[in-house]
Amino acid sequence: MILDPITLEVLTEGLISVVREMRATVFRTARSVAIYEAKDFSCGLFDPASNVVAQSEDIGSHVVPLPWSVRSAMEQHGATLAPGDVILTNDPYRGGTHLNDVTVIYPVFADGRLIFFPAVREHWADVGGMVPGSMSGKATEIYQEGVRIPPIKIVEGGRINQAAIDLLLANMRVPDERLGDFHASLSACRTAERRIHELCRRYGVETLLAAIAQNMDRSEARMRAKIAALPDGEYYFEDYLETFQDGRLEPLLLPMKLTIAGDGMVADMTGASPQVPVPVNSTLAVSAGGVLIAVKSIFDPDAPLNQGSLRPIEVVAPPGTIVNVQAPAPAGSHGEIRKRVLAVMVGALAQVAPRLVAGDLCRTSFHNMIGGIHPRTGKEWVHYEWSAGGSGAFLEGDGPSAMATIDWGDLTTVQPTEVLETRMPLMIDFSLQATDSGGPGTTRGGLSMRRRLRLTSPRAAYSLLSDGAVLPAFGVLGGFAGAPVSSHVERDGVAEAFDMPGKVAGHPLRAGDAVVIRSAGGGGYGDPLERPLARVLDDLEQGYVSPESAHGDYGLVLAADGGIDVPASEAARAAIRAARVTLAVVEGADCYEAGSVSRRRICRINPASARDAGLRADDIVELMSPTAAPLRAWVVLDPAVGAGTLPLDALGRRVIQAALGARVHVRLLARGLLSASALRREAAE
Amino acid sequence: MQWIGVDVGGTFTDLVLYDEADGSLRVVKASSTPHDHSQGMMDGIAALGVDLGQVAKLAHGTTVATNTALERDGARMAVLTTRGHRDVLIVGRGNRTVLYNIKTARPDPLVPRRRIHEIGERMRQDGSVAEPLDAADLDAAVATLEAEGIEAVAVCYLHAYANPDHERRTRAAIEARLPGVFVSTSAEVLPEYREYERFATTALNAYVAPRVRRYLASLRGRLAERGYDRPVAIMASNGGTLPSEAIERLPVGSMLSGPAAGVIAATFVGRTVGFERVITYDMGGTSTDVSLIEGGAFAMTSDGAVGTLPNRMMQIDINSIGAGGGSIAAVGDGGFLAVGPRSAGAAPGPASYGRGGTEATVTDANVVLGRLGTDAPLGGSLRLDGAAARAAVDRVAGRLGLDPLVMADGIVKVAVARMTGAIKEISIMRGRDPRDFALFAYGGAGPLHAALVAEELGMRAVVVPPIPGNFSALGLLVADVRRDFVRTRVTVTRTMPTAAIAELLADLRAEAEADLAGAGFAADAMRFEARLDMRYVGQAFELSVPVALAPTDHEAIDAAFRRVYEDRYTHAPDDPTEIVNFRLSAYGIGRKPQLVPVDGAGRSLAAARIGTRAVAFDARPVEAAIYRRDALPVDEAFDGPAIVEESGSTTVVPPGYAARLERFGCLVLERKERS
Repeated sequence: MILDPITLEVLTEGLISVVREMRATVFRTARSVAIYEAKDFSCGLFDPASNVVAQSEDIGSHVVPLPWSVRSAMEQHGATLAPGDVILTNDPYRGGTHLNDVTVIYPVFADGRLIFFPAVREHWADVGGMVPGSMSGKATEIYQEGVRIPPIKIVEGGRINQAAIDLLLANMRVPDERLGDFHASLSACRTAERRIHELCRRYGVETLLAAIAQNMDRSEARMRAKIAALPDGEYYFEDYLETFQDGRLEPLLLPMKLTIAGDGMVADMTGASPQVPVPVNSTLAVSAGGVLIAVKSIFDPDAPLNQGSLRPIEVVAPPGTIVNVQAPAPAGSHGEIRKRVLAVMVGALAQVAPRLVAGDLCRTSFHNMIGGIHPRTGKEWVHYEWSAGGSGAFLEGDGPSAMATIDWGDLTTVQPTEVLETRMPLMIDFSLQATDSGGPGTTRGGLSMRRRLRLTSPRAAYSLLSDGAVLPAFGVLGGFAGAPVSSHVERDGVAEAFDMPGKVAGHPLRAGDAVVIRSAGGGGYGDPLERPLARVLDDLEQGYVSPESAHGDYGLVLAADGGIDVPASEAARAAIRAARVTLAVVEGADCYEAGSVSRRRICRINPASARDAGLRADDIVELMSPTAAPLRAWVVLDPAVGAGTLPLDALGRRVIQAALGARVHVRLLARGLLSASALRREAAE
Repeated sequence: MQWIGVDVGGTFTDLVLYDEADGSLRVVKASSTPHDHSQGMMDGIAALGVDLGQVAKLAHGTTVATNTALERDGARMAVLTTRGHRDVLIVGRGNRTVLYNIKTARPDPLVPRRRIHEIGERMRQDGSVAEPLDAADLDAAVATLEAEGIEAVAVCYLHAYANPDHERRTRAAIEARLPGVFVSTSAEVLPEYREYERFATTALNAYVAPRVRRYLASLRGRLAERGYDRPVAIMASNGGTLPSEAIERLPVGSMLSGPAAGVIAATFVGRTVGFERVITYDMGGTSTDVSLIEGGAFAMTSDGAVGTLPNRMMQIDINSIGAGGGSIAAVGDGGFLAVGPRSAGAAPGPASYGRGGTEATVTDANVVLGRLGTDAPLGGSLRLDGAAARAAVDRVAGRLGLDPLVMADGIVKVAVARMTGAIKEISIMRGRDPRDFALFAYGGAGPLHAALVAEELGMRAVVVPPIPGNFSALGLLVADVRRDFVRTRVTVTRTMPTAAIAELLADLRAEAEADLAGAGFAADAMRFEARLDMRYVGQAFELSVPVALAPTDHEAIDAAFRRVYEDRYTHAPDDPTEIVNFRLSAYGIGRKPQLVPVDGAGRSLAAARIGTRAVAFDARPVEAAIYRRDALPVDEAFDGPAIVEESGSTTVVPPGYAARLERFGCLVLERKERS
């Protein structure tokens, strides 16, 4: 059946309206604050083949992975599903995200046939486990993160499985609230069922199903047309997650091989670091969701979201790695992998669609916690802070500063100072966009936030669970990296830094101490020396860049009247360009070095060349590419390497699109945090 | 004496003249004059042929503040703010409103960062001074304001709602050196906590104030020339009027001036004719406004916005969507049909306006369907061009390979789907069933689509009030004076003695009484309502709870909170609550016009019927009767398909519906029993 475009449009609006009504129902009936105030839940309609067919203002990180849960549910129960059955699941190993995301999947039948799954994914404030809230940075196994619920029929033939409910609630904190949240999901799905039946009565089941099929087909056709316009080929990129082993940096490799063939795409993460016994790993659904969010956000932002747009993309994520965690490794903190998957997609696509990509976004969810006992109430208080960073710059404009990233929905990320100070024993001394935090570029990366939170009660503790504290968001097409996240404590005017950047557990604070945090800036786009001088001056006047950066990164020289001295600026730009350290690419091998878990790319440099360039062993450098994203590597001093040369394997040359003999700008990114392997090497020498 | 209501919109200036002597209402539509709206208003007054010396009351709905904000055409302004918090207005809540787009820019701030100046000062949340106001900083900032030729300043300090002293002294310092510069302080505009929303509302106020002030001064001048020297009442977003001088100080309170007047009129007419549960449906050229009235009262909210800018002034809860008669139908990649949000606006307007528009709009689709006639002038002077409408719809139909009549029907259906979506948001999604409500349709395009919208939602009746094309102007005449007062003090409910709660509310009331007395109201014409914004301890957002003016009992307060909470969220635990804001609404009750019953003598359906024409429903043309509304008899039903025409609007009665004019002149459409 081919529907006319009007019926199609009216039915599409009707289905989206069903999802909106589901949202309103959850919002009205849920019991936890996280759901009805932070709106940490999502609804969607899925078909029996686990395609998402409609969503509304829901959170991408919830909805896009949800089809994997639907598929698991169908595998388990597809053969026996009957009207009156409802499925409950939160199993990360079977299509879920983390245990706190509890999902109700509700089969809707018409004319005796299964036609739809309305589904609700809610973040439950607690699902048991070793700490209140269930997510702990110290978890080494999933059993510490709460109760795992494989896809079960929580309602069968219209009767609630009370034994299962009792068992689950007995293992969760604040069980009444959880029961309320469960009923909220159920009500939302029942509302959807009623509305779907109304649509079926009015338009006919076949018409409704035809509308869904056609919607997906036309979204798919749009996406396929965009992919077909790209040159076929293999594109490669790699990035890292930050962990520490025995106090030393252990970067976990996340590679991406993107194959574009005709109107389809394969995103292959083979070679990703093995899973680790800390909460960094993510599930297949989350990793694949990251790929799909990237593709949708880069190629077709305008079409309403349904599975059709995502069909042309195949995702490969080997089991047992950080991108496809297997039992019993923890899966509690999955957001960091999702953000890094977005990054490697951007990095790979920069090679083939440079006009469509943006610099890397702010890299991390940046979870800060300050808490203690409130002196006035005697009760425990926790301030949970996730200030957004800057997102990457793009061809047409500077990256947005301090804004929720594309994998988040419309979430508040900067909390009101006046509310915080009323509720918590804290003073927010400042809350400002961090000057120079946006990656310099022809268009500039978005700025991050810099905040100082001062304790006004006798004592508290500070924790941080973050990534991107060593490796910042990269720029593209010669744009520079943004600022990494940072945090330190000021006591009596003295700054105390932490030895493991980004990872702080329960650091003690006393009255008057201040925690100073900075989220991560976005990457730049294009060489900063190409930025129009007038825009550099504007950034300087607005305080978005410092005089040092305006001069040092952008070559701006001011005239006596405060305007732009154009000839002097042009000369400064030429001098900056000439002073860049460049090395000539030669054939290289053994470009990776093993750590205790994963491996990382190294850049062998002749010691004399390194000395001239001011580089030291274990420094992290970026090999810049004027046409794509940069390649990151750890410096290894090697007298066997010819002076002035840069040995690079074929993969590395592909990333930066450099031929043998090409001169590559080598830029210092971070001074070495000596890794365990480097220490071993030093000891051996 | 006579009363005049004038509602100035983007395209038309609508006037209503009410004569106290016989209760008659007369209407006029004049073209709006965006360069100086007072000109269009004077044209309209001239067309009414009224002697302004005989006019007792002139009330005005204005879009000057809203348009100034939306067009970003306001004052050259600056902000002074607490040191360390310069970016509150730039960063806001750090949220993202555009999903799935890697190239999303942050909306431009109202004030560039270079004109946001930090001043050393700091209050704590309890109003105590953490850091005194730095006089040297202030001096330097004022010098900068002077050097930069700033016209308006917003003074936005943290916790100023708890202690406005630093803001007041800053205002004094600016006014002393820079008389004539408009100064707006956050504690005066909106003394409640959450700095971004308060600062943004204050900045918006300062931004639009100079232009609103110039406009109102010009208007008063023109009126005075013509002999009108009484106060000009301006409609505010909260559904009350304020003297124009008060709006000059607080123009941000007039952002919903026109739409609010429509809701007031619907409440008034609904009550008069016996419809107390009503959903208002005001469809104009570029937007559609819907709201819900229950028990004769409309919902209020302080969670408003003007474009991307938050506006936390207390306002009628109106859901506005960017779809109207001028919405353009277009075909995108992959064959997606979209109706709006692009609009042909007033210029060039729909293709059928013959002003150079070539794209098919909702209005053009209605012309093609025969629902809008091409003979009678629309809204006075404009005659619709049927050929131009058909050509425009043909082009879209050609792209999709559809019959033009099917296309026109489809454009209307897609528009109606968006309208029903907007109504679901304020009804179903808040636990109200639209089937329990009547649809109150007005605005130029409301009555044209109302029956289709009501049919989709299963609503029981459509009411088209008298003068639907000038309906908001009528609301201006019936609105009371209203002022809303608020004070933030965050406190656990049971720890604040009820005497202290009553005392705080009494303070607000004293302030309100002085204000109303100043506006000439006697004590017996004043009315007050108290509300507390409350939440459970630990929650982040509040609900507004009506309470007694002098509460005597914590349990009564908590019980009232639980009722509101349960209505919103379906459950209400017996947990401890806290109070965040204390609110008082003050009304100065004025006289109202009385709707008089229609004199139906001598009228008949036959006389009202001016002919027939082919009108398409579901893309099939049928012969429909055409009636003149002003000749319809009272309480004589007639069946659809029919079209009822009048100056400024057209009502469609689809097949299967019957319509009648009830005794106060409302046209009531109801579905006939399905046979």
